[in-house]
Amino acid sequence: MLGGVLGNVYNATKSLIKGHLVTLKELRTPKITVHYPDERLELPLGSRGMPALKVNQDTGLLNCTACGVCARECPVDAIEVEAVVGEKGRKKRYPAIYNLDMTHCMQCNLCVEACPFDALEMSDAFEISRYDLDDLIFDKEQLAEIWKTHKAVRITGGEKL
Amino acid sequence: MSEIEARRLKAEEVGHEKLILNLGPQHPSTHGVLRVITTLEGERITEAEPDIGFLHRNFEKIVEGWTWSQVIPLTDRNDYLANINNEHAYVLAVEKLAGIEVPERAEYIRVIMSELNRIASHLLTFGTFAMDMGAFTPFLYGFRERELLYDIFEKVTGARMMHNYVRLSGVRNDLPDGWDKEVLEFLDRLENDVIPDYYDLLIKNPIFEARSLGVGVLTKEDAIAYGAAGPILRGSGIDWDLRRDMPYSIYDRFDFEVITREEGDHYARFMVRMDEMIESAKIIRQAFEQMPEGPVMGKVPRVLKPEGDIYSAVEGPRGEIGVYLVGDGNFKPYRVKWRAPSFSNLSILPLMAKGQFVADIVLTIGTLDPIFGEVDR
Repeated sequence: MLGGVLGNVYNATKSLIKGHLVTLKELRTPKITVHYPDERLELPLGSRGMPALKVNQDTGLLNCTACGVCARECPVDAIEVEAVVGEKGRKKRYPAIYNLDMTHCMQCNLCVEACPFDALEMSDAFEISRYDLDDLIFDKEQLAEIWKTHKAVRITGGEKL
Repeated sequence: MSEIEARRLKAEEVGHEKLILNLGPQHPSTHGVLRVITTLEGERITEAEPDIGFLHRNFEKIVEGWTWSQVIPLTDRNDYLANINNEHAYVLAVEKLAGIEVPERAEYIRVIMSELNRIASHLLTFGTFAMDMGAFTPFLYGFRERELLYDIFEKVTGARMMHNYVRLSGVRNDLPDGWDKEVLEFLDRLENDVIPDYYDLLIKNPIFEARSLGVGVLTKEDAIAYGAAGPILRGSGIDWDLRRDMPYSIYDRFDFEVITREEGDHYARFMVRMDEMIESAKIIRQAFEQMPEGPVMGKVPRVLKPEGDIYSAVEGPRGEIGVYLVGDGNFKPYRVKWRAPSFSNLSILPLMAKGQFVADIVLTIGTLDPIFGEVDR
């Protein structure tokens, strides 16, 4: 009976020491915790935040022609587009309204893949929390601003990152 | 007759008052939103009834209003720990139904990502099972490795969990340069450092063995009768793995073992998962060696209007993820039925919990490893 108890104590102590040795080993390994927001990890290329509207570098205008393919492709109906046609001095159609509802958007990249005019890109903007729900509906100026201030990539299917 | 035995017999004679105890739905040990209504006699459970549906999102009906390709992001949210496996299951079914060809390289990438996702899922199961047992440290270790793996995922798919990576006729984008080295480094570390550490930390511990060996035994016959899948089936000694027995994609080109254990207890199911991680690593290594160059996206017909019905299944980390599709020649699926492995696995809980201690039902839920995104859909 005593041997059984002693054996148990021996086994328990052995496993305790073994377990603690694993933990002790971690003293010598580098720290992997990142103290966000004081420290930040660099996001890899192609990290998906929210979609942004691409601005043409030469003209400063949006590439978007308000064709509405993105709105149709969106599974959760987060995009609302309305076009302006036949305005004087501009031949191309452009969006009068382009609203992206980030309360619905699930950042799935399907709108970017559907876009035939190179007008949408996926940016890595992920810090989009707001105090008001209405502020989460982004209009076209805000979406263009996000494109200018964040890294954005366009993946339409099959290319290399 | 010992004194304890005598007391037990006395208690049986007198009889216990029955007590109904609710576990969950907001209980950390139930891995999500599961409510178990247990009837207790003393410390023993006489009846356990799982109450599910708290996370119901109407997946099967919603997708009837979406086009074939729009469904892919939502399949991620079924089993949110095995996203790529879910996408793979759905995409395979649509490809078979519509007769879409997939380039060779894309198949290899799919296999690599699926197996990495299996490892990530099993790492989490390791952690949560330890936590169910009261050991908090292994939980942190399991999560650390999983986070590192998710960093690797993010470099390819752009997201940590909801990848939306597998597409009809291929995958969304090719692998970035140098990514394969990173994966192989991770696998080396997993096999040589991490898993031995897990053995020292948890698996060889006498308390772990005492609480898992011979507890919650599921017999072969019951496992088949209840439609168990994955590690639960293989932990009961049934040699069945869809990757080997009904090879889909390109799984017939790899050399790997199907892990089985005869005991059918907590320990067996847990160890099946631990050993499966190493087999997955083996598959990934072979896939990197065999992977050809080439395109990763094939041609999808512009008008996708498949007709007919099909059932296709893949082996996810929790078992057979089956998809039954009916197309009526429209842009949208007519019907989608999702066979979730967690659902059939959870149905064994009343049988296994009968006669157990209250403390052990928590472990039983942990070892069944249900994911409620998938059970409730």
